[in-house]
Amino acid sequence: MRLSRRLNTIKARIAVSLGALVAGILVIALLGVAALRTLGETVTRELNDLSRVSEISNALVVTLFDALRTGEQYLTDRSPTTRTAFRIAGERAYELQTQLQGLPDLNQSERLMITGIAELQSQVEVWYSLAHAQVDLGRRSAAEQAAFEVRTPSFELLRTVQDFSALQRNRAGAIARSLQRTSEERRLLVWTVLAASILLGAVIGIGTLRAVERPLVRLEAVARRFADGDLRPVGVGKMPDELASLSEAMGRVSVKLRDLVANVVWEGERIAGTAEDFSAISEQLAASAGQISTAMIDVSSGAGQQVAGLEESTSAVDRLREATERSGRMAERVATLGDEIHTLAERYQQDVSASAAALLELGDVVQQTAGQVEELDRLSEAIYDFVELIKQISSQTNLLALNAAIEAARAGERGIGFAVVADEVRQLADSSAAAAEEVTQTLSAVRNQVSEVSSTMIAGRGKVRGIENIAQGAAKALQEIARAIEEVEMGARRVREEATTNLEAAERIKDEIRRASDAANAHASTSEEVAAAAQQQGASTQEMAAQATQLNEAAERLRTLVQGFRV
Amino acid sequence: MHLLKRLPLLAIAGVLSGGCGGGDDPIPIGLAGPFEQPRGRSMEQAAQLAVSEVNARGGIDGRLLLLVLRDDSASADVAVRVAQELYDTPGLVAVIGHLTSGATIAAAPVYNGGSRPVLQISPSASSPEVSRAGSYTFRICPSDSVHGERLADWALSQLGARRAAVIYQNDDYGRGVRRTFSRSFTTMGGEVVTEDPYVASLPTFEPYLRRLRARGGADVVMIAGTRAGAERIVATMDSLGITYPVLGGDGLAGIENSDIDAEGTFISAAYLPDRPGAQNQAFVAAYREAYGEGQLPDHRGAGAYDVVHLLARALEAVGTDREALRDYIAGVGRETRSHLGVTGSIAFDESGDVPEKHVMVGVVRDGRLVTATRR
Repeated sequence: MRLSRRLNTIKARIAVSLGALVAGILVIALLGVAALRTLGETVTRELNDLSRVSEISNALVVTLFDALRTGEQYLTDRSPTTRTAFRIAGERAYELQTQLQGLPDLNQSERLMITGIAELQSQVEVWYSLAHAQVDLGRRSAAEQAAFEVRTPSFELLRTVQDFSALQRNRAGAIARSLQRTSEERRLLVWTVLAASILLGAVIGIGTLRAVERPLVRLEAVARRFADGDLRPVGVGKMPDELASLSEAMGRVSVKLRDLVANVVWEGERIAGTAEDFSAISEQLAASAGQISTAMIDVSSGAGQQVAGLEESTSAVDRLREATERSGRMAERVATLGDEIHTLAERYQQDVSASAAALLELGDVVQQTAGQVEELDRLSEAIYDFVELIKQISSQTNLLALNAAIEAARAGERGIGFAVVADEVRQLADSSAAAAEEVTQTLSAVRNQVSEVSSTMIAGRGKVRGIENIAQGAAKALQEIARAIEEVEMGARRVREEATTNLEAAERIKDEIRRASDAANAHASTSEEVAAAAQQQGASTQEMAAQATQLNEAAERLRTLVQGFRV
Repeated sequence: MHLLKRLPLLAIAGVLSGGCGGGDDPIPIGLAGPFEQPRGRSMEQAAQLAVSEVNARGGIDGRLLLLVLRDDSASADVAVRVAQELYDTPGLVAVIGHLTSGATIAAAPVYNGGSRPVLQISPSASSPEVSRAGSYTFRICPSDSVHGERLADWALSQLGARRAAVIYQNDDYGRGVRRTFSRSFTTMGGEVVTEDPYVASLPTFEPYLRRLRARGGADVVMIAGTRAGAERIVATMDSLGITYPVLGGDGLAGIENSDIDAEGTFISAAYLPDRPGAQNQAFVAAYREAYGEGQLPDHRGAGAYDVVHLLARALEAVGTDREALRDYIAGVGRETRSHLGVTGSIAFDESGDVPEKHVMVGVVRDGRLVTATRR
């Protein structure tokens, strides 16, 4: 458990794989040295044994020839010196046979051969001694007869000795073969250890690469999704500690972004809703203003008709009064609506400032995230340094392997096996450097991804600024609405005042129908004024409607903006 | 013939493999010598006598001793072959043998080699080479050098001889006795006038003896050989009218029983049946009872008898492990008490020899080998 946790960092994995590689190389070197040493010892021992055997058997051949020669020679020269030499050669031959018997590693047939040699030699000696005795007694022909008897055992003796030498030669061949077999076994052992350590290094190396590469691919996919605006939470699975902290930071960024965007979307919805309400009220207001305007035109035409036919004025005046009363009610309703709008606008303004505050907070988070991304960049820099260190170790290993190859070349034939090992080590160092290069490339890919994320962040910031501008625009629009409403209210007040004045005039007309013409003239001019005011109010209302549309459009734009985010 | 010789081995192997692990299995002990020759008879008979004595008192922890006989014909190469057979016999704990020095030396590398070396104790191999034959090879008789020295001393001091003629059998034994005799005789002031070898196939000794007489004769004829050769030499001397006193090593033992007139021949021996002591008298009596009134054990038989009892003591002490047995035997006389046998006190030195054992000189009197009396 603890070990697996320790192994869960890129650093530890690379250290373990390099360690395994170095340990394997060390084992190979030790094996090589031990194999060479034991092989050398074996060769020395076997050669010593062989040279001892061949030394003794050579001496035996020479001594036996001496014995035969002096044995034969005595028959002609009868010299006591020759006789002594014959006896001494015989004794020496027995001594040599005893020495041979004392050697270890002789097999049964070789021992039987040596005893056979001793028996043949004893026969030869006896027959020569008999021949010598006959010669000493002057019996020349008997001596020759005895000397003739010597021939068979003599030939057999020489043949046996030669067979024994041949056997020793075969034994030398067998020893050579066994040594060769031993050296091949040692070589196989070294190869096996080399293959095992290469395999182990490769397995750990590939494992490390995968452990780095797979999480990187996953992180890259997550970063791409963030860049595409998909901020939904996502699992990245197990990964080395260094990358796990990166993924954790990315996760935190996604959570913050998601919250903020959700906030903005909600606020946008609310603004849109308010703007719709506002728009509806504005339309109602515009409709009221239209009605006022129509009423005024009716008033105006009514006044004209008054001038034309005073007789029909009473009913007309009544109608006028009704119209004026209606106009007053309308104006009051406009005033009420204006108040309502005012309240709405004020509330909306508060909403907008809340949105602005939220947006400012978003800006802070983006700033913070940018800092974290920079921290990540710095972290990957550290990994990059470590990989650089590995590259250095690889190049030094390479140099060592080269030195080993030179030393192996100096060792000549014996070093061939080791030269191959050194070459393998050098290739191993090369592939380890290549692996480090790959890690570097992977890392720079990571750093590219990080800078991409960073630029996404900056783009996000731009977007947030856009939202801020829109909000400010909305605030400005609201102010203008408020101003327009004030104007509407002012218009409405004037309508009401004029309506009151109208009503008084109508009353006066009713009372002084005669002075109706004058009053009608005055009334007509007043009606025109009212119509103008109503027209002015209508314009203000239109302006307000336009502002409402603008607001609606802003809300719509806001919605489009936040629609890019999936939360 | 060959197949017949192998039969007992097959039978024993069958018994052993059939009853493997049982407490009643016999303990096989090898006995190797030339049993078809007269000199091997006493060795075989005395060994069997000792085995039956041990078995009569219940064997070793209830297990009987079993002799596995192998005839080596006193030949070195046959000895090597039978040694391998004995070495490979399952459960075999030790080998008593061989009788002659040549066979003992030739077979020693077999017993001392391999992964499970086995104890070899010769009752009668007297060549000095036996001392160097290996750490598993022992003997309970004095070496030829002791015989040679004893005979040279006897010739000079008891027979007053100054000139000696040596006729030796041309094998390890004969050459060994010749070497020590000649060296001692020369060192003590005598002169060795001739040294002539023989083998069994030598057609005649006549030229050697005739030349000896032509060169001024000798005060004594030393025969460093075996009984068969000695019989021919003595017969040839008789036919030539040569009457020099004859001396010989223990190889001559048994010559007193031969048809030729060996009266007065001096023979060195590690053992003589008339050796004093109750233990020896009981042994000789038992031997006579078992094999006939006219039968007497020689030094080979007495030696084999002692070796069987010594092995029984070792088996009782350390069991049947080959290495443990060897270590126990090597310590006899040093780590454990000496073995008091019919041939004397047995105590081994580091080379497996019995340096404290003396050589006696016997003489043929009335067809019997008796202890020679000093002048």
